[in-house]
Formats: sequence, C-alpha cells, structure tokens
Amino acid sequence: MIGPIISSGIVSPAWDNVFAVILGMGFGFALESSGFSSSRKIIGTFFGYDFVVLKVFFTAAIVASLGLLYLNYLGLVDFSQLYIQPTFLTSAIVGGIIMGIGFSMGGFCPGTSMCAAAIGKIDGMVFLGGMFIGVFIFSESFPLLENMYYSGSQGSKMINSAFGISPELFSLFLVLAAVGMFFGAAWVQKKVKKVEY
Amino acid sequence: MERKYTILAILLIVLALGLVVLPKKKELKEVEPKVLLASIVEKSRYLSVDLVTHRIIENDPTLLLIDLRPAELFKLFALPGAVNIQPDSLLSAMTLELMNQPGKDKVLLANSDLISEKAWLIATRNSINRVYIMKGGMNEWFNTIIREKPVNSAASLTDLDLISFRKAAKQFFVGVEETAKTPENQKVIEKVKLIRKAPEASSGGGC
Repeated sequence: MIGPIISSGIVSPAWDNVFAVILGMGFGFALESSGFSSSRKIIGTFFGYDFVVLKVFFTAAIVASLGLLYLNYLGLVDFSQLYIQPTFLTSAIVGGIIMGIGFSMGGFCPGTSMCAAAIGKIDGMVFLGGMFIGVFIFSESFPLLENMYYSGSQGSKMINSAFGISPELFSLFLVLAAVGMFFGAAWVQKKVKKVEY
Repeated sequence: MERKYTILAILLIVLALGLVVLPKKKELKEVEPKVLLASIVEKSRYLSVDLVTHRIIENDPTLLLIDLRPAELFKLFALPGAVNIQPDSLLSAMTLELMNQPGKDKVLLANSDLISEKAWLIATRNSINRVYIMKGGMNEWFNTIIREKPVNSAASLTDLDLISFRKAAKQFFVGVEETAKTPENQKVIEKVKLIRKAPEASSGGGC
C-alpha cells in the first residue's frame, strides 16, 4: 500500500500488510464472483464467445481513472503522492509476449490461477506451479537477463504525457474506446457460436 | 447490449466529458510564505547517508538522486543513478520536468549541505513536492560509507548492525577485491567498481 493514505501520514506504515491482505481478499473475491476462476471463461476472449475478462478489466480501468481524476479535482487525492511504476520498454514488450502466450495457453493469469487453485481446481494448481517454476528460472538467470531487464527505461511515464494531452482528455478517449469495445464485443458474441461450459 | 449497460455507458461518457469541460483549477505556482516557513523549520527534508545508501542498494525505483556538484567531480565519481544538474539550471524547463516527475523522491546532494539547501529552497518555493537533502552531502557519504571508522568496544548491537551495513555497502560500491586491496585511510574514490544487486520483486499490479 504505497499511497496516498500511508505516504501522506494518515495511517501508519505498520498497516501496510493489513491493507495488502484486505485488498487482496477483495480482489480475489471480485475475480471469483466474476467467474474468472474458469479457464474456459478467460480463454473465451481469444475465441470470441465470452468477453467478460475484457469488460471487467476495461470497466475497472475507466472507473479507477475517472475516480482518481475527480478525487484529485476535489482535492481529496494528491496525484504527486501516487506511486507510478517505472516503464522499461524492452522488458515490458518481452514480458508481455511471454505473459500473453502463457495466458492463452493456460487460460489463467497469475491472480485468476490463485483463485482457481483456492477453490480446488487442478488446472489452476498446475498453472500456479508452472508460474513458480518460471519465477525460479527467471531469478536464477537474472544476471544473464539484467541488461535486457533494465533497457528502454522511460522513468515513471504517464501515457497522456507521451501523447502530449491532458489526463482528462485521455480519460475521455479511454472511456469512448471502452464503450466502443463493449458494443463491439456484444456484436462479435452474437455472431460466434455459443459455447456451453 | 442490455439497456442497463447502455445507461451505464452513457453515464461514464458524461462523467468523462465533465472532466474535460470542468474549469481548470488555478494551481498556485509558488508556495505561500507561511507554508514555506513551516517547511524550513521542519527538518524531515534531511535523509541520512545510511538511508540513501540503503535505498540505492535496494534499487528503490522511487529514488531520484540529483547531484549538484560540478560536472568534473560528477564524472570522477557519482552515486549510481544520480543525475548531474548545475544549480544555475535548476529552473530550466528540462530540470523542472525532471523534478516534477510524479512518484519520485528527489534527493539533492552536493559536496556539503550548502548548495543543496539553496536548491531545496528554490524547488520547494516552486511547489515541487518530495524534495529531500542527503545530510552532509558527498563528503559525509565518503566519510561514513567508504572510510571505515574503528569499532568502539562499547558499541551497542544497533551500532554494530550499522557498522556491518556500512561495510557491506562499501563492498557494494567499491567491490570486494578493491576493498581488500585498499589500505586504510587511502582514498578509493577513483577506483570504483559498481556491482548491481538483483532487484527484489516489486509490488506490481495486474491480474
């Protein structure tokens, strides 16, 4: 829990892990109740019979984006106190490709595999095991990958500044893209043969 | 698409449009004198060399070291990841963009605190947040981290831990072989071998 509640001194850093556990449980509950513990539901995005993954994550992104901008406007959140993950372009691209392949092959991403494993699904447990093996291999071979890992450093970059527009205008475009995607997904889903699972 | 989702989509578009058309907040470019005075009195702007060293070794992504020393000294030796900025270019557009990076702790350092203090005042006056000073500057850093001090026989456990940390930090910056070769009280400034430590897993987001 990096900010802004703890970094602004409202809550002691000792609560860090407590917040992490509560938020993690909430996140897990949201994933499970959205049906994300089913690999067939997730893989539906790639086959065009179920777009719930895309809809849930796009909705989360636009709600969080609009929420933060309104809270900042009202003076309830200080943007400068938020932690922004630094961008390393090369490792993001390579990692994205590996993640995408793993996602489409296994039908899970790290969080959803934990949800599936937690409710006793064997494919979720196998995926989780594979993930830890991957983490181990990466950690052991880090000295070989270090140069690639740190290349293409962009700092804590905001996408709106990369486009040279305000965060508000970027959020409007994001909402329009999301709404367009919602309607597009509904149209594709109608055209594709329904899959029962 | 169902009617309720259509209504929600329209609501989101309206909210997003609202953000674009809302009048922009008038942001104060300079800090009010009272706020500035309070910041000057408050000593939390100082970070110890041990803390800064720890964050460098931990590869803390929120740390931005701003080295205010002359370029020749910076070329001779600089802390890993430090950016050299001359005090007279503190208010240039490029520097301000660097200093206004969100989510970064800007740590100013020079040979001593004198220039850092002035730079801190200018940055704070210009509403730049999260600006700190490495207490004692590079002189203090060399005296604390690189030059080993004799261990007092009456040192407490906390002191011994700190001494161990400094020894390990010295090896991190200078290298094990160099440390072994270097006689005590000899300057090791010019022979710097940087060994990067693998970063710990960061608390990233995602699904």
